[in-house]
Amino acid sequence: MLGPSTAWYLGVSAFLFGTGALGVLIRRNPLIVLLSLEIMLNGANLALIAFSRHASNGAGQIFALAVMAVAASEVCVGLGLVVAIHRRRLALDVDRFSELRG
Amino acid sequence: MSLLAAYSAGGALVWIVWVVAGFACIASGVAVVSFSNPFFAALALIGNLGSLAVLYLLLSAEFVAAAQVLVYAGAVMVMFLFVIAYVGPRTEAPWSGGPRWQTVAAVLAAAAIFLEIIVVIGLKAGGKLAHSDHVNATFGSPGWIGRLFLTDHLLAFEITSIVLLIAAVGGVILGSHTRRSQQEEASTPA
Amino acid sequence: MTAGAWLCLAAPLAGALAITLAGTRISRTVAAWISTVSVFVAFAGAVWSFFGLRAHGSEHPALTTAWTWLQSGDFKVGLQLLVDPLSTMMMLIVSGVGGLIVLYSIGYMHHDPEERRYFAYMSLFVFSMLLLVEGGNLLLLLVGWGLVGLSSYLLIGFWHERPTAVAAAKKAFVMNAFGDATMALAFFVLIAHTHSLAFATDFNVHLSSTATNLIALGLLGGAAAKSAQIPLHTWLPDAMEGPTPVSALIHAATMVTAGVYLIARTHPIFEQARTVELVAAGMGALTLLVAGLVALVQTDIKRVIAYSTMSQIGYMFLGAGLGAYANGMFHLMTHAFFKALLFMAAGVVIHALDGEQDMRNMRGIGAQLRWTKLAFLVGSLALVGLPPFAGFFSKDSIIAAALHAHWYGVILWVVALVGTFLTGLYTFRMYFIVFGPGEARTRHYGEGPWTMLLPVGVLSLLAIVGGWIQFAPIWTPLTHWLEPVARTLPVAEPTSFQEGLSSALAVVLGLAGIGVAWALYAGRRPVPRWAGLQRTLEHKFYFDEAYDALFTRPAAALASMLRDGPERDWFITTPTELGDDTITVARGVRRIQTGLLRTYVLFLGGGMAVLAVVLLVTK
Repeated sequence: MLGPSTAWYLGVSAFLFGTGALGVLIRRNPLIVLLSLEIMLNGANLALIAFSRHASNGAGQIFALAVMAVAASEVCVGLGLVVAIHRRRLALDVDRFSELRG
Repeated sequence: MSLLAAYSAGGALVWIVWVVAGFACIASGVAVVSFSNPFFAALALIGNLGSLAVLYLLLSAEFVAAAQVLVYAGAVMVMFLFVIAYVGPRTEAPWSGGPRWQTVAAVLAAAAIFLEIIVVIGLKAGGKLAHSDHVNATFGSPGWIGRLFLTDHLLAFEITSIVLLIAAVGGVILGSHTRRSQQEEASTPA
Repeated sequence: MTAGAWLCLAAPLAGALAITLAGTRISRTVAAWISTVSVFVAFAGAVWSFFGLRAHGSEHPALTTAWTWLQSGDFKVGLQLLVDPLSTMMMLIVSGVGGLIVLYSIGYMHHDPEERRYFAYMSLFVFSMLLLVEGGNLLLLLVGWGLVGLSSYLLIGFWHERPTAVAAAKKAFVMNAFGDATMALAFFVLIAHTHSLAFATDFNVHLSSTATNLIALGLLGGAAAKSAQIPLHTWLPDAMEGPTPVSALIHAATMVTAGVYLIARTHPIFEQARTVELVAAGMGALTLLVAGLVALVQTDIKRVIAYSTMSQIGYMFLGAGLGAYANGMFHLMTHAFFKALLFMAAGVVIHALDGEQDMRNMRGIGAQLRWTKLAFLVGSLALVGLPPFAGFFSKDSIIAAALHAHWYGVILWVVALVGTFLTGLYTFRMYFIVFGPGEARTRHYGEGPWTMLLPVGVLSLLAIVGGWIQFAPIWTPLTHWLEPVARTLPVAEPTSFQEGLSSALAVVLGLAGIGVAWALYAGRRPVPRWAGLQRTLEHKFYFDEAYDALFTRPAAALASMLRDGPERDWFITTPTELGDDTITVARGVRRIQTGLLRTYVLFLGGGMAVLAVVLLVTK
């Protein structure tokens, strides 16, 4: 393979995953949280594609397409939730939904 | 095409493309997490998806790259932007809110995950990842993907379509309380 | 005859149990009669075993075992009763005099609402005392010993609404507990050396002199506590807080004589530790002197009689300590008769005056209580020891035994004679003050019902004839009877001359005491006072104050020091702090439950990171 070895791609993938995780844990706006979640999924996708190329196995790319489809469905439902929250005039703040507070 | 020319010209061009795309990927990822305006964050995500598509191309996954741009950046992100526009302007400082120990622990956890993956790659699998297999020209082409979907991975294909169906139903249900909730909002004083 | 012994023991116990279990279902009178009948049944059993032993021959005692009560290694103790001359004599005295006193109590306690409890306690006491004297081994003796202490506590504090009564009961119990402890220690030494508490083993063994002395000292401690001898005597005057029949039974006739019985029973051990035995004699002599002196200034009629008891038991200890066991036991018997008589007669007076116990307020009652006055006179004469009354025959033989026993005995002889003078003085001081002429007092109850007068009459008779069973050295059936079990030591067998001399001197001194009392107290002449001596005597030689400073105050100080120090730190502060710390920790942990979804995702991610590290390291 020309260019950097698989390890470099995996490094980028790891960084994306970590950054996405940080975003999910830090941010309070649910829209941003969903976006960060997308970043994480994309990081995983990149790893899958890289390994697929490394092992010349098509399963990785198939899996990446499935991930993409699932991500799309999850965004659909998540955004539906955000819209429902907005409709009820509640604040768009994840920290407000804390009935489990001890 | 220009890509084939790049291949035959040697790895130097690949390296340059990789650095640019990789940098864009990382920068846009950080941007998504740190913008306070969700609109800009969504735009940064679109940029991220684009640079990822370039990286996929470098990895001989042409169909996936195309699907990424068309489906992900084209459909999903547009949906996102619709909702952001609908919800309206809501800015929120990234590091505010929540207990302080939570913020510190979150940074530590994320850093730990990142470092662990790096360590695993470096220590355990470094040698094996140096040489990747040789692939032929049809690797990653739409026909090849299609054949795989309909033969080896038929089950994944079908189940994915069912997941999409369920998501669509869910979306409809989440959105269908319009009339009742509007009646409630009209009757209760704001 | 052993069946008689079992009957004697079981009857009062059955009575006590019956009254306790029946509770308020039976009337007070029925409870009283149950108790009385049970004690008289015990007397019948005692008579039965006495005659059985006599028929069998007094040198063949019977030891009857019910079952093995305690077994540990090769140490075995059975539930044993012993029928021998000493125990049958005590059984007769305890159940006989006890029965009369319980009968008397029916009249005396008639108006008390808690009669049932009283009679249950009285039956319990009689059972305990019988167990003590019938016990076939030292352990049962100790069980009876402890039970009489318990009964004494319950009965002294019978009127528990009175704080003085409660305090007196506690005092008696604590001092007796001290004696119990020394006795237990003595028993431990015995068990360590002989692995047995049976009479036969322990009385025939020869241990090192250290061990024997320790055992004897321990036994003497117990005897001194139970019999209220110096230095463990301060509880007896306070014990007069109990009802008068209780004072008569427990603190005159039976319980306080248990110490003398103990010395007589364990005399083989004491004879091996001769010094300790002589210490006992000296202790008795000292007590009789001190008690006699203190009795001179008492104003409470019961306390005079209490100090008199202390003094007379001093005589018994003197006799037993020198080795004249039969004499000591004889005096125990006659003392039971006339002391119980005195207490009961005093009880009639107290009852008639509705609870008045101060002698100075009793003047003039004699005219209205003629029979009681006569009974009191009989008792007093017996106490002083004038012939032909009972005390003469028993006390004089003890005094004579002292004269015979070397130079040490002579000192004790002098002390005993001074004691007879004092006895005459304080006894008739009491008689003249109480029954002297004076203005007639109003009375509520008269002389009392037949249940009170009959026992008084019977005991008056016994106080006259009770001593006629032995007239040393001419006629000694009692000494012969007790010989198999408690042979008098040769050193304590006086010659006829010594007997005669002692008797004569004792009678003369006794009459002199009566004369001085008549001179001082019979008329209405003012009583001379010597201020310093009077104060010392009134404070009972400051024993109570000394014990308070030596034992009570330091103990109380130690207790409050511990309460404010370690106890507060360990038991109050520490658990409280533990609780507070737990709450603080819980509050801290509670902060994890933020309720935010982000937190739970954080834990998920964090856990995953940790897991990855673990997998990395282990693989």
